[in-house]
Amino acid sequence: MSSEPIERRVSYLGDRLKSSRCRICGKEYFEVRDYCGNCGRKSYGKMDSVDLFYEKGKLELCTLVTEPTNKFMKLENYVYGIISFHNGKIRVPGRLTDQIVKDGETVDFSSLEGREVVPRFRRRYSVGRSEVVPTISLAFTLADEYYPHQDYTVVKPSKEYDVPGIVGYSFYTSRFRIREGRLERSVPFVDEDSVTAAVEAGKLALIHSGIDSALVGKIYVGSESNPYAVKPIASKVAQVLKLGEEDGDIQGVDAVDTEFACKAASSMFKDAASLVNYSKSGVKYAMVIGADNSQAAPRGCPGGELDTFVGYGGSAFIFGKQDVLAEIEGWYSCTSDTPDFWRRDGEPFPMHGGRFTGDPAYFKHVRKAATKLMERLNLQACDVDYFVTHQPNPQFPVKIASELGFREEQYAVSLQINKFGNTYSGCSPVGLASILDIAKPEQRILMVSYGSGAGSDAYLLRTTSQVADKRQRQKINVKYQAENPFVEYVDYTTYRRLKLGM
Amino acid sequence: MQNRPAIVAVGRTKFGEHYGKEPEKLIEEAWLTASRQCNLERRDLEACYISDCFLPITNKLGLEEGFLSELTELHVPMETTRSVSAALLTACHAIEAGAYNTVLVGGIEKMTDRWDKIRDDLMLLEDPWSYYAGGTPEANHELMLRAYTNKYGITGENLDKLNVALAQVSVKNHANATKNEHAHFQRKITIDQVLNARKAARKQLGLYDFAPISDGASALILTNEAIAKKMTDKPVYILGCSSATDYLNFTARDDLTHFTATKIAAKNAFQATLKAPVDMQVVEVYDQSTVMEMVSLEDLGFCEPGTAWKNINESCPEEKGYYEINGNRVFVNTNGGLKADGNPLGATGGAEIFEIFKQLRGEAGERQTNFGQGSPRHGCALELEGFGTKAYVTILGRE
Repeated sequence: MSSEPIERRVSYLGDRLKSSRCRICGKEYFEVRDYCGNCGRKSYGKMDSVDLFYEKGKLELCTLVTEPTNKFMKLENYVYGIISFHNGKIRVPGRLTDQIVKDGETVDFSSLEGREVVPRFRRRYSVGRSEVVPTISLAFTLADEYYPHQDYTVVKPSKEYDVPGIVGYSFYTSRFRIREGRLERSVPFVDEDSVTAAVEAGKLALIHSGIDSALVGKIYVGSESNPYAVKPIASKVAQVLKLGEEDGDIQGVDAVDTEFACKAASSMFKDAASLVNYSKSGVKYAMVIGADNSQAAPRGCPGGELDTFVGYGGSAFIFGKQDVLAEIEGWYSCTSDTPDFWRRDGEPFPMHGGRFTGDPAYFKHVRKAATKLMERLNLQACDVDYFVTHQPNPQFPVKIASELGFREEQYAVSLQINKFGNTYSGCSPVGLASILDIAKPEQRILMVSYGSGAGSDAYLLRTTSQVADKRQRQKINVKYQAENPFVEYVDYTTYRRLKLGM
Repeated sequence: MQNRPAIVAVGRTKFGEHYGKEPEKLIEEAWLTASRQCNLERRDLEACYISDCFLPITNKLGLEEGFLSELTELHVPMETTRSVSAALLTACHAIEAGAYNTVLVGGIEKMTDRWDKIRDDLMLLEDPWSYYAGGTPEANHELMLRAYTNKYGITGENLDKLNVALAQVSVKNHANATKNEHAHFQRKITIDQVLNARKAARKQLGLYDFAPISDGASALILTNEAIAKKMTDKPVYILGCSSATDYLNFTARDDLTHFTATKIAAKNAFQATLKAPVDMQVVEVYDQSTVMEMVSLEDLGFCEPGTAWKNINESCPEEKGYYEINGNRVFVNTNGGLKADGNPLGATGGAEIFEIFKQLRGEAGERQTNFGQGSPRHGCALELEGFGTKAYVTILGRE
């Protein structure tokens, strides 16, 4: 059985990798210390806290673990070693993650030792289904591979906008893919899940926006694959990313999870924008994350048809009124009680309504939301530069886009289903992210999400000059992850193993 | 010294898997062998020091003293430690202080009762962060070896020699164990077997580089010099014992290539006895891995740092059974060491002392070492707790 207080303390220190430094002699410690061993009593109260979360370390020594202890069995073979920070002032134990070492495959340790590594927030080990999910950032990846090290620099805002909008965004997916025909889909590594994707997406969005994480007043996480039925992902994101004013071990931020199938996140864009626009809320920035390890039964089982298209990833958007890169010009939402796709509580995989997921569900709602918003804003398809909608499979978005009168060049760039699969709550947001990655200032984007159950949110966004200015702050953008040479392709058996996780 | 502590009798069980035996059966057997030797009755015991590492976990025995009291029907003071060396150190202090005349020092472990979980349990001897990061009981040995070869720039041909030297440690220990009826493994192994196991493990250390998981018990009867002389013709004296402590977290230690705790404990023990490593003819080191045997030879002061592998490599091909270091012979792990004799944590140190006791008294049978003038005069034992977190050095002598 896990111990709740131990779990709380371990994840508080280990998720963020907190350490301390003596102000007198400079000695550093992993973990929070009240005094320094060198300086003794006189150092009491003179220990500075050092944050290793955005730092890069160096892999000093390593070995291969082929027979892990029981709770690590699902990691199979992995490289374990000693990682140093600050030129060896702190050394911590750690394992390399995002690496599949096959049985019988040898690892050249000396080719790994001395290389730079980035701490990654991951699941720690396997536990029983009823226990608290343990996490840690003592998992590292090589900085010169899929995920480069990026500094998190807070930038002073230069301009206040009248209309709220997006001030930073990100998309995160894992290094692993399955390729079937022309379709590539992302697969989490075995220690990843919707929580780790949400944290990664949030981290990348903070880096992109350059805002101070302490000024985020609200965090929404939309997901339908939260490992918990009760316990928010948003609280983990808030704690790990230090959102809101930090006071001891508690963050001054409102955090909530939302659920509405694939529109759980996009639905909250307007709520986040409204909140930052309400002067008395005191909320400068609000973050919305859509993250899913999209669930599907194995092929050949009821509901297994979904397994052809599901992906993994998270997308985060930060809303505010300073240094806005895309203003929200309007929105329209619609809802009907349509059971086209569902997952009963306690069931591991969702079911769907087969041919009823098309016309009476997806097309009806997307069409309604899009036409209503365009009517309201008095727009034609040709007035919009880019169109993005939900992508449950490669055909649906193309069909509805053409029906609404959009040409291929208006929507093609947003079609990410072919690269990452359907990332459920992260799906239309990643489409939006891919457009923002290339959009010019003063361009209009129409985004229409869809969530089974069912409903759609349509948004009209207009980019500002900041969209181009902020672009160089993000190395790990959509294209970078789609075309990364370090992507590793796995077979269907490995895909299922990774997807089920620890 | 008036109250110089002396061992008058030793006993132990075979190490290995004792599937059908409860822990009490094992300690009983070790105690009976020892007490019979010196004709001692349990009512003569004035105190008991018993060690075990995992009985609370493996056998749900949380208050071992009470368990021992029930077994012996004694109500004398009893204390539990984690290793026999720790129990012995405490008992020696009590004897020296004149608190007691006759005490039992014992150790017991029943690791195979939790075969499927014992490797997780072993991580309790390391810091939790190493466990959380995916560490295993073997990982630190491998990291230490890599740190060692890096630090001393051992590459190419020398690295091959070092790798063979470590294999020779294992081969030598297995060969010694064939002459030890109590040993866990009583079969010879070859260099090729060690090397092939490493190939299978895909790293520098393999199955034959590590000590096994064992059950077993050991017992020593400790008295002061005056009583010892009445009980036996050949008491073995504890000339000195010392311990030192290091960080639980291996990664945070200054030196990743050696055990600081061993160095300190050895220095203090040798200083207190006015002896030097060169005076030791038989040595028991704590070879949880072949790396530990190599590094410990340096930590105890037998070899210069970074050189033990050469001494091992040059000594071993002729299977002389001893290491030749600067012209001196030193027999190391004549019982087969932890590698082949077995490693029931709480009882292991007792087997080390058992061996030195037997060697000094010339009672080691087939594995008796000989130094011209008879059995060796001095020996020492190194026992560790955890990965060098605690080190105990005990120096024994015939006079």
